[in-house]
Amino acid sequence: MAVSTVGARQVGRRATIVCAALVVAPDSSVFTPQDLAYQKVGLDYGNGTAYAGLQMLEGAMPREAVTTVAAATSPAERFAALMRGDYAATVLQEPWITVAEKAGCRLVSITFFHGTWVATPDTNPEAYAALLRGITRAVHRINADKRRYVSYFKRDWAGFPEVDALKPDDFNLSRIQVKEPTPIPESEARWAWEWMASWGLIDGTFDVASQIDRNLEGQAHELATAVRAV
Amino acid sequence: MAMTLAIERVTAFMGLDVLVARDEGLFAEEGLDLRIVALPPEEVRSAAEGAAAKPVTNQGKLQARGESQMFQA
Repeated sequence: MAVSTVGARQVGRRATIVCAALVVAPDSSVFTPQDLAYQKVGLDYGNGTAYAGLQMLEGAMPREAVTTVAAATSPAERFAALMRGDYAATVLQEPWITVAEKAGCRLVSITFFHGTWVATPDTNPEAYAALLRGITRAVHRINADKRRYVSYFKRDWAGFPEVDALKPDDFNLSRIQVKEPTPIPESEARWAWEWMASWGLIDGTFDVASQIDRNLEGQAHELATAVRAV
Repeated sequence: MAMTLAIERVTAFMGLDVLVARDEGLFAEEGLDLRIVALPPEEVRSAAEGAAAKPVTNQGKLQARGESQMFQA
């Protein structure tokens, strides 16, 4: 991540793992990610879904064949633009992956990624630990009955007819993944930085101390575990 | 007295756990008053305004002005 003006750094992985899919319109001639070589793909630059989209593309073609254009942050707008033919493919997340499938779109690639929490230096470790404990309990509840919680994906987009029309059984539960939050593996953070630098998306060399607040991360995770163990 | 923590708005695709924990009272049971704060709509900008090497993002804006301690990246 870029340098924060308030000294904020990453302090751990999130619990919800994001599912991102490269999606093409129903009448598209594209059936594989390789078919997207030199074709415009709409990505919401600056967001994890955009980087996931870029990774799915680069795994299928030479870098010079990857052709992306700036797309809206809102997946509703990206979906609408895809259906208008503004680009050959875009990256979507839930519930818009499910919306797209119901509309006859095809998924040509799918991936998952962790995100992270970013905190200011004055964040109270005990408060962050309480956040982690609440999240961990929620993870167990969600994993015990995912179908019960798919309504949350609809609630975020209430008023959009395509989303309102979704039924709980429309959702593919394998695309909904949550796990107990953990500290960030340094190797993963380093790889992400170096990968972004290789695309010219970030400058400088990776420095774990400037990216991850290991003190806050460690204190909060230890406190969360200690209280759970009592 | 509950501890307080302010985080930037999350949605289900990346923060389902947070929303469930809040709605089911799990943070309150852990002694946390979690406040979820959102940018005013007029301040929200679209990634379509940006470029790959110069993206436009809303993440961290509230944190940068002292209105939240944490956000999801």
